[in-house]
Amino acid sequence: MNGLICFTNCLLPREDGSLVEQDLWIDERRGVILDAQRTFFLRKERPDRIVDLGGNILSPGFMDIQINGAYGFDFSVYDGNDEEYREGMKTVAEKIVETGVTSLVPTLITQEKSLYPKILNLLRPFSTPTSANLLGWHAEGPFIQLAKRGAHAPQFLVPAHEQFASLEAVYGAANLADREDWLMETGDTDAVGVRIITAAPEIDGVMAAVEETVKRGVVFSIGHSIASTDIATAAVQRGARLITHLFNAMPQLHHRDPSIIGLLGASPHLSAPMSPKRVAHTHAPLARSDSLTRRLRAAEQESPKAASEAFDDLLTPPQTPIFANRDSELHLQKGKVTDMAFERPFYELIVDGIHSHPNSVRLAYTAYPEGCILITDAMKILDPHLRDGVHEWRDGKRFVKEGDKLYLEGTDTLAGSVVTLDKCVRNFSRFTGCSLGEAIKCATYNPAKCLGIEAKKGTLRPGADADLVVLDRKGYVQSTWVKGKEVWRKNAA
Amino acid sequence: MRLIIRDDPTSVGEYIGNYIAKRINDFKPTPENPFVLGLPTGSSPIPTYKHLIKLVKEGSLSFKNVVTFNMDEYVGLPRDHSESYHTFMFREFFSHIDIPPSQVNILDGNAKDLIGECNAYEARIKEFGGIELFLGGIGEDGHIAFNEPGSSLASRTRIKTLAYDTILANARFFNNDIAAVPRMALTVGVATVLDSREVVVVVSGQRKALALSKAIEEGVNHLWTLSALQMHPWALIVVDEDATAELHVKTVKYFKSIERVQDEVEAMHDALRAKGIEEPVGSME
Repeated sequence: MNGLICFTNCLLPREDGSLVEQDLWIDERRGVILDAQRTFFLRKERPDRIVDLGGNILSPGFMDIQINGAYGFDFSVYDGNDEEYREGMKTVAEKIVETGVTSLVPTLITQEKSLYPKILNLLRPFSTPTSANLLGWHAEGPFIQLAKRGAHAPQFLVPAHEQFASLEAVYGAANLADREDWLMETGDTDAVGVRIITAAPEIDGVMAAVEETVKRGVVFSIGHSIASTDIATAAVQRGARLITHLFNAMPQLHHRDPSIIGLLGASPHLSAPMSPKRVAHTHAPLARSDSLTRRLRAAEQESPKAASEAFDDLLTPPQTPIFANRDSELHLQKGKVTDMAFERPFYELIVDGIHSHPNSVRLAYTAYPEGCILITDAMKILDPHLRDGVHEWRDGKRFVKEGDKLYLEGTDTLAGSVVTLDKCVRNFSRFTGCSLGEAIKCATYNPAKCLGIEAKKGTLRPGADADLVVLDRKGYVQSTWVKGKEVWRKNAA
Repeated sequence: MRLIIRDDPTSVGEYIGNYIAKRINDFKPTPENPFVLGLPTGSSPIPTYKHLIKLVKEGSLSFKNVVTFNMDEYVGLPRDHSESYHTFMFREFFSHIDIPPSQVNILDGNAKDLIGECNAYEARIKEFGGIELFLGGIGEDGHIAFNEPGSSLASRTRIKTLAYDTILANARFFNNDIAAVPRMALTVGVATVLDSREVVVVVSGQRKALALSKAIEEGVNHLWTLSALQMHPWALIVVDEDATAELHVKTVKYFKSIERVQDEVEAMHDALRAKGIEEPVGSME
């Protein structure tokens, strides 16, 4: 046997969302996808092993860039025992492959400040030969908006008065080192590693830290925020390239100040380098957040309840700013859209049918399909084998699981998600009406592109890691492959 | 010469596919004595390749002991280019069958010494004892391989400048940019094709109708290089109805009438082979 595998009789998702009937050749020993034609004519080899997939879909492995935990392990809980924590990472990495996920970005919700440097250092890229890849970390908080804190502990939220230095002080300078240096520490410069920070750009000092964060190779994501359209746009212009769980923990879409959600429809009129100057009411668009800020200050006087979600957005609709007319020539090409000065950010969607209505999912996808990224945002309770009922959480609190719904016991407060990513893909195809290939793209190529690792992950390009998932035509996982090896297979029923 | 007429390109492909499969299986090739097959590119042979792939997947045919020689390749086009004949052959045929890569021969249009490459190709064909069966297609101008009108009928593998007709016809594969179409190709010669023990040519579509008529109803002429096939003792042309549009009714009727004895001819050929007599008996004229 020459260690080459040919997958045949299968559909391959392409980076444009289409599905083509084609073979895929991989090198089992090196764990990479091959350029089949070059292998044939230059290496003069063809695979000794042929895997007939019976018409199923052979997709790049799914990538979940926001997941809080699974199989009983919570990435946000560190009890001072490194070994125990690493064991938890391993458990998640090894079990999650049954959901088709081969890469994930462990997500840390807001912590007590002193815990960050330790936990982030533990969350360096990690995998075992039979597990999914933990790609690094996603720090959600603590530089987030109190009013949109969701389940984050209010007492740990902080501003960034010292701008980037504040970020370094919290996360640890070593964890925010330049990408190369950070990967070097990992010991494998070839490794794929990513870091994501979710923060609210309107929090003092955060906006000024965006550029340096991005320069270090860290993805800046807007989330848990009440940023007005102006502020959100400015953050994107400075390098923010992602929106954390769109629709959740942000102002709802208001047509006069569409805020963060409105970035999906960013108008060339406002984004152009020569954007028209406002003529009046400079502060009018901020009225929405102003009113909220006032009420917020009042609320801060009381002690906020940990379980309460968010404030109602606003009482008074703000005014749409008035812009000076521009008189440049209008273009005449049907179907073309005037160039924008910046790229619209990617956006995460939790497609469990609970966190976002199917109509909202379709609305976002229709506005900007290339930016859509499916996530689970799952809690540690995520485990497809877990029965419905009451389960222990922490601090004496308990969950009630009802299908994909998860409540705090005795309340109707959503306590996070327990949906698997493969189910999100199926849901997404149903909710939006898009093809399975296009839904797959939102869980593979789009997240990889957002993180800048699309040459190695989330793709079937030659040279990419042979992390694969086989799906039937209904989108159910049949088998999962990591680095060219089958690591999970559905039991023949 | 035999001319077989089928309703449409798919039926043509099935006929030739079955024919080639039978020839390979009857040959009983071994690693020491492989079946040597010449192969073309282009749209006409695709149905044939599809059918051969089907036979391989069904298990009734194997290319394990088949050595192939392709007819031609563009000069200067990267091997990985979507329109190179390496890419075509891999995409349409080799990736789907069981042929070992070391038994595939395609001219290298990026060789430093192009003349040397051509001479080495001829020598390699000889090493294998010549080509057993050469499958070919034709261009609208009647060219076989890239032997454009005016090519010597005694030509061997060499560098060839493409005719303007061919460049125009191929521009559709290069975003209709005539400047992007390669101007030169390496190709086996007419004599290289005629040297093979058997030649099978696929012709389909009305656009090839005039070329077919010129090749079989008129004299041997270097302006329609396929006509050289008239000099070959064991040649088979398989066409679809559309490609017969320019033929005389008389010609079509004649070839249809002799098709029914095809099986007898085949049987006779086999019998002679079995007796160790290698003389081809294909000519019905």
